[in-house]
Amino acid sequence: MKLFQYLLRIDRKIIFVAMAVLVMFPLLRPLGLGVSSGPRARALFEAVDAIPAGKTLLISVDFDPSSMPELYPMLVALMRHAFAKNVKVLLCGLWVTGAGLADEAVTTVPPEFGKKYGEDVVYLGWKAGVDAVILGMGESIRNVFPTDYYGHSLDSLPMMAEVQKLRDIPLVVAISAGDPGYRDWLLYAQSRYGMRVGAGVTAVSAADVYPYLQSGQLTGLLAGMKGGAEYEVMVQKAGYSKAYMPAVAAMDSQSLAHVVIMVLVVIGNVAFFATRKRREA
Amino acid sequence: MKRNIPLIICLVMGVMMMVQFFVPHPVSVAVYELSTKWIRIVAAFALVLGVGSLIMYHTDRLRRRRTGWPYSIVTLVAVAVTTVIGLGWGVRPGSPLQNVLFQNFLVPLNASMFAILAFYMASAAYRAFRARTKEAALLLVAAFVVMLGMVPVGRALWGKLPEIAEWVLSVPNMAAKRGILFGVALGAIATSLKVILGIERGWLGGGKS
Repeated sequence: MKLFQYLLRIDRKIIFVAMAVLVMFPLLRPLGLGVSSGPRARALFEAVDAIPAGKTLLISVDFDPSSMPELYPMLVALMRHAFAKNVKVLLCGLWVTGAGLADEAVTTVPPEFGKKYGEDVVYLGWKAGVDAVILGMGESIRNVFPTDYYGHSLDSLPMMAEVQKLRDIPLVVAISAGDPGYRDWLLYAQSRYGMRVGAGVTAVSAADVYPYLQSGQLTGLLAGMKGGAEYEVMVQKAGYSKAYMPAVAAMDSQSLAHVVIMVLVVIGNVAFFATRKRREA
Repeated sequence: MKRNIPLIICLVMGVMMMVQFFVPHPVSVAVYELSTKWIRIVAAFALVLGVGSLIMYHTDRLRRRRTGWPYSIVTLVAVAVTTVIGLGWGVRPGSPLQNVLFQNFLVPLNASMFAILAFYMASAAYRAFRARTKEAALLLVAAFVVMLGMVPVGRALWGKLPEIAEWVLSVPNMAAKRGILFGVALGAIATSLKVILGIERGWLGGGKS
């Protein structure tokens, strides 16, 4: 009984330490649990795979550094997939705090495939207005973004010659940490301009996305770090890239973190019910 | 007059944009394109309004020495420094705003805040997640299934677990979510109509007519 009472009053620092140790351990010594790809991630992979070479994939970077561990691997994996298939990549963002993150991806990923800025990849940057930005891009991308993130005129970029408006782009993938995000692309880019929209979201937002998937409004989904890991594995299995897979590496840590939380909840409940009669007395 | 003019603008624009959506005539499309440009300009002004409101709120907190007033100093200094650096040295890659403020301040601070959540969640779940009732027990079981099904260790324990987690998300979760979404959508339509027709006037703010 004393043990149960002690467990109910356990210092939270002990929980923090246990969590830290178990999260760090797999990062230092991977467990190699492996990742299997689910139907949602596969649907998005197939949609990107179906884009003809020379056409453009639009990726909206709608997240900030707080969601970077979950969502940045998706962005990189999507770009690798597109470049391996000779699909051009156009990036933009609805979050001002995501601007620097997209810039990092544009700087690091294209050289892996020998792709050049302006010919194979363009980053438009961020503009205030969210819905107006998407609606404006539906009419003319140049009207909304006369210059790209780096200050080049869009007319000076060869890739943009064939990309005038959203209808010229077969698929947009919105990688979203919240609002604004994939919902805005659904509401405006899809309903008004008939664009196909895929999504990458944080694990906590995944449950909100399912109705849009079942209705067919969304073409595939990457949910949380698992979604990023699934996509990384599919890209590697298809032979498109042999690069390091950060989301796959982090999945072992996430597995243990989930197990820790569950074990703690079980212990907490056992201790609670074991001492309940005594408390009631 | 101060209230009537915004109400008339709202009514005219609201009805016009609704009608425009169903009219593909070139004139209608031109009006729509012009409107989207206006919206972007107005949105930029809204940003200025937001910054102004933030400064006024924190200045007031500072003047009245409200609880947590030192944090208002941090906010105001951050706003001032970011504005000066942004306006003075630009926002392009390689600028101090990108290299110093974004890469060296915002990224680590933001990432740390989110990472700390895992520890608080573990501690909070341990203390508060109790199966006191049947509903709480059901929630607990569903949470366990989804948590395990979403990570590789779940599949390692039992191959069917990811499928069951997928079912939980695709069937019961979606039924509830869809109901909520319909409710929210109908509420948004009703509120929009009330705003357009001038019944709901909260957006006008205070002040005399």
